[in-house]
Amino acid sequence: MTATSKYFSGTEKPHETQHEEEHDPRQYLMYDPKPRGEMNAMVMESMLTTSWKFWVVFGILSVLVATCFFYAWGYMIAEGLWVAGVMRPSYWGIFLVNTVFWIGISHAGTFISAILRVFKAEFRRPFTRAAELMTTFGLIQAGASIFMHLGRVWLAYWLFPLPNARQLWPNFHSPLMWDLLAITTYVLGSTMYLFLPLIPDLAMARDRSTGWRKVFYRILALGFRGTEGEWRHLQTAMNFFAFAIIPVMFSVHTIVSWDFAMAMRPGWSSTVFGPYFVLGALHSGMGAVAVVLFIMRTTMKHMDYFIRKEHFDALGKLMLIVTFAYSYFFFNDYIVQWYGGDRWTDTLLHWLEEGPMAWMFYQLIFFNLALPAFTLWNRKIRQTPWLLAIIGLLINLGMYWERYLIIPVSLTINRMPFTWKLYEPRIEIFLTIGTFSMFLLFYMIASRLIPLVPVWEVQEGQMTHTLRKVGKAHVPTVSEFE
Amino acid sequence: MADTTLLAVFQDIDPAANAIEKLHEMGITDDQINVISGVPVAHRMLGRPHPHTNVSRLSLGGAIAGFAFGFFLNFGTPYLYIVPVGGQYITPIPPGMILLFEMTMLFALLATFLGVFLDSYFPNYRPMEYVAEVSDGKIAVFFKVPEGDQKKFTDAIGKLGAESVKRAEAQQL
Repeated sequence: MTATSKYFSGTEKPHETQHEEEHDPRQYLMYDPKPRGEMNAMVMESMLTTSWKFWVVFGILSVLVATCFFYAWGYMIAEGLWVAGVMRPSYWGIFLVNTVFWIGISHAGTFISAILRVFKAEFRRPFTRAAELMTTFGLIQAGASIFMHLGRVWLAYWLFPLPNARQLWPNFHSPLMWDLLAITTYVLGSTMYLFLPLIPDLAMARDRSTGWRKVFYRILALGFRGTEGEWRHLQTAMNFFAFAIIPVMFSVHTIVSWDFAMAMRPGWSSTVFGPYFVLGALHSGMGAVAVVLFIMRTTMKHMDYFIRKEHFDALGKLMLIVTFAYSYFFFNDYIVQWYGGDRWTDTLLHWLEEGPMAWMFYQLIFFNLALPAFTLWNRKIRQTPWLLAIIGLLINLGMYWERYLIIPVSLTINRMPFTWKLYEPRIEIFLTIGTFSMFLLFYMIASRLIPLVPVWEVQEGQMTHTLRKVGKAHVPTVSEFE
Repeated sequence: MADTTLLAVFQDIDPAANAIEKLHEMGITDDQINVISGVPVAHRMLGRPHPHTNVSRLSLGGAIAGFAFGFFLNFGTPYLYIVPVGGQYITPIPPGMILLFEMTMLFALLATFLGVFLDSYFPNYRPMEYVAEVSDGKIAVFFKVPEGDQKKFTDAIGKLGAESVKRAEAQQL
């Protein structure tokens, strides 16, 4: 009786109806097409609709960027690095923690866009751009953090191979120079990779805009019309980028890991640091993508059409796989050091487990290993956007702690106990808030200026997906257009 | 007699493909036809020749130039500006591999990006033949016809499902 009344009141559906709904292909974006003009209008409206809440958040972030980023950095430049907490033995502090963290965040954009494009994973289509933007904006913060770390930032050009009166010449065999070259390659490569697929959408926006926006989009669209030749050149380039940017992506975080692994220090000298860092980067980047997609879906108009539960589900599965891979490397790195029996490494490991920063170590294990591994098995959790976003956020917190433990904490426990002193960040805290605020601010500005959903890619995908009748069922079918 | 460019707009790929086939039958060659669309449409769907691109060649050229530049930085400049590092070779090969890899990839990516600009003549802000409905999913076929045959082609293509067939005019995008 209860079940019947629930059925008639609409709160519970009979099993068959539920079954049909679960298999309703229209729940998937690729099988729920809309006319292209309507999709264009939706994306344009999402850019042009701005509520007062947007401006409040925008204002707060602008103030934070002005004070915590520009003012604090200017103050540090004027006063010198003594206003920061970096000092013997931890000369590498939060600035480099932030650098590694932001480079890590930047990895998921390329990973999602390039690897999924290479493997033709269709679920990628609506959110590749949001992920690629994360790469560019994350790398800007990483670059800024390196310059902060330099202290005398006006001498940064000494890193470049420019003959000068003092005959300073960069040593290309130093891991720090590899960093410069790899990050420069990655910044330029990922920015170009972001821009190329954006051109057709900028042309679409140009055709639908007036006033200053028309001028803005006309300049950026470069005169794109969509001729056969233009598409061919664009697709050839995008395919090349998709393949070429993957090894660059792997090289960047591997080289970042070598900044540490090449030094014979307790906690740093490890042969698995390269892949361990790459997996860590993907782990934090995936989590950040989940957060970004959740914010986009909940705050921007019409985004619930483009970003659906299926996308969170697919992302959740990727996060689960990355969790296992990351766990494997984490354990591998840990047990080899633990088993090695080196006195100072043992001391460091005991310090991590029982010292004043042990809370970070245990949060790292819980947020990065246990939480995603035990929750993302569940489809309902994966398909609940806010839950996946919270898991993604906590993974990022754990990854930040991981970098903090690797850099200033590992530097504290060295082979000279008389130098041991726990690192205490000072102005770095404000500058960290500044970089996070700037990252968010860039996203907010981008959401008003460029289509965050690649409409042409979505439509291309919808054209290739059809339902084919096999027996009594309609079976999803994908055809190859290229 | 001077040629006139006509513009036919289609709702879908099928009538556009039929129209191109008809144009071929009426003596219009592929180099007199241009198709623009809001999504990439494979050339074989429209019965068109494979568009030529130099992008991949430029990528390869960029990679070679990058390798050469990396080689120069790595194995050439240390002799120009010697940095003595205790016990190390002036030009050790294993660390040099990293520089070679990064420079090769950087130049290849830059060349690919510039290749799109060169092959597509970007940026191009001159008035061009265009129809804005293309970005709403329609397909536009531009074709050159002899001045006097305009009506014959307009009627023929109109019968094949074109939404409109008219003289193409260059416009500021």
